[in-house]
Amino acid sequence: MSAERKTSAFRIALLLSVVLLFAFFNLGLYSILTRRLGNNFSGASQAKMVDVGRYLPFEADSDLARVESSLKLTDDLPVLDGAAALVPVYASVVDAVYPEGCVTFEGGTFSDDNYYGENFAPDSKMQYKNTVRGYKAVVDGDTDLFFCAAPGEEQKAYAEEQGVELVYEPIGKEAFVFFVNSKNPVDDLTVGQIRGIYGGTYTNWKQVGGTNRPINPVARLEGSGSQSAMNAFMGDTPYAKKTPLALFGGAVGYSFRYYFEDMVGNSKVKMLSLNGVYPSAEHIRTGEYPVVAQFYAVYRADNPNPNVKKLADWLRSDEGQALIEGCGYVGL
Amino acid sequence: MTEKKYRRILIAVLIICIAVTAAHFACDVYAYRHCSIIYFIAKELWGYVG
Repeated sequence: MSAERKTSAFRIALLLSVVLLFAFFNLGLYSILTRRLGNNFSGASQAKMVDVGRYLPFEADSDLARVESSLKLTDDLPVLDGAAALVPVYASVVDAVYPEGCVTFEGGTFSDDNYYGENFAPDSKMQYKNTVRGYKAVVDGDTDLFFCAAPGEEQKAYAEEQGVELVYEPIGKEAFVFFVNSKNPVDDLTVGQIRGIYGGTYTNWKQVGGTNRPINPVARLEGSGSQSAMNAFMGDTPYAKKTPLALFGGAVGYSFRYYFEDMVGNSKVKMLSLNGVYPSAEHIRTGEYPVVAQFYAVYRADNPNPNVKKLADWLRSDEGQALIEGCGYVGL
Repeated sequence: MTEKKYRRILIAVLIICIAVTAAHFACDVYAYRHCSIIYFIAKELWGYVG
C-alpha cells in the first residue's frame, strides 16, 4: 500500500472513530438517562400530576370515599382546592357535603401552558392548582379551603408579605416515605442514613448495605408538599451538592405514602422501611413509623364565609375522620 | 485531500458531535427537573455495576 493510501485510510478511520465515540456516548446517555425521562408531558408525568377525572364528585364510578354527612351546605359554598395527593379527600368532601351541580370539570391536556393539565370552570367549587399555585390562591382569596401538607418557607413568606394570617387545621396523618427501584437490594435504612445520603456522608449504596453503585439522591420541586416535608425531615442537616456521576447511580426519592402507593402505584418501585418499620397504615396509626406528617385544611383567618370554619370543623368530626380513613389516609 | 482540508473536516465533525451531545445533555437536564421521580426510578437499569 502506498504511503498516500495509508494516510487516507488512517484519516477515514480517525473520522469514523470520532463519530462512533460520540454515538456510543449518546447511546449510553440515552439508555441510562434519556429513556427514563421520556416526554415531559407523557403518561408518566400525567400520572405524577394526578388524573383528576378519576375523582370527580357526583359521578357514580369516581374513586371517592362515600360517607353519610350530617353537614349539608346549600349556599355560600367554599371553593376547595388542594395538593395532588389530597384530590381524593376534598373531592369526597364535595361529594358528601355539597349540592350536585357545583363542580364543572372542563378536562384538558398537558402542555407547557397547562402544566397541571386539568381544568375546572372558574365558578366551579372544586379546583385543582396543586401545592405551589394553590397556596398562593388561598392567600390571594381565590380559594377558601386548601388541603395540603405543611407549608414551605416560600409559602409562609408569601402569606407574611401579603399580611395574611392562615389557619392550619390538622385533618389527618400520613407517612413520609422513601423509595428506590424494586431491584435495589436495600429494603431498610435508618433515619440517620437517609440524612447522610442527602447530606453527602453516604455516596455509594455499598456504604448502607447495598451493592457498589453511586447513590443518586433525587429531590423534588421547591415549594411542593413533599419537598417541604423533606426540608423539615433534614432539619439542620444541609443538602450536599450532587456529583455529575450521581446522575447515573441508583436513585432514592421521597413522597407521601398514599400518593406513592394508591395514586401513582408502580410495581417497579418499592418503599423502604425506616429504622426497621415499614410505612403501613397500621404503623402510622400506632406511631411506630418514625416520619409521620400531618396534613391540613388551610384557610384565611379573616375569611368572612362562616361555612369555611364549619367545614374545617366537620373534617375533624367523626364523620369527617371517617371520610379521611375512607380515602385511604390515616385519621388524627 | 490536503492536510489543511482534512483538518477542517475533522474539526467540523468534532464541533457537530459536541453540539449534538451538548444538546442531548441539555434536554436531559431540563426533562430531569420536570419528570416524575417515581417513573424515573422505576425505569432505572439496576445492577449494571457491582
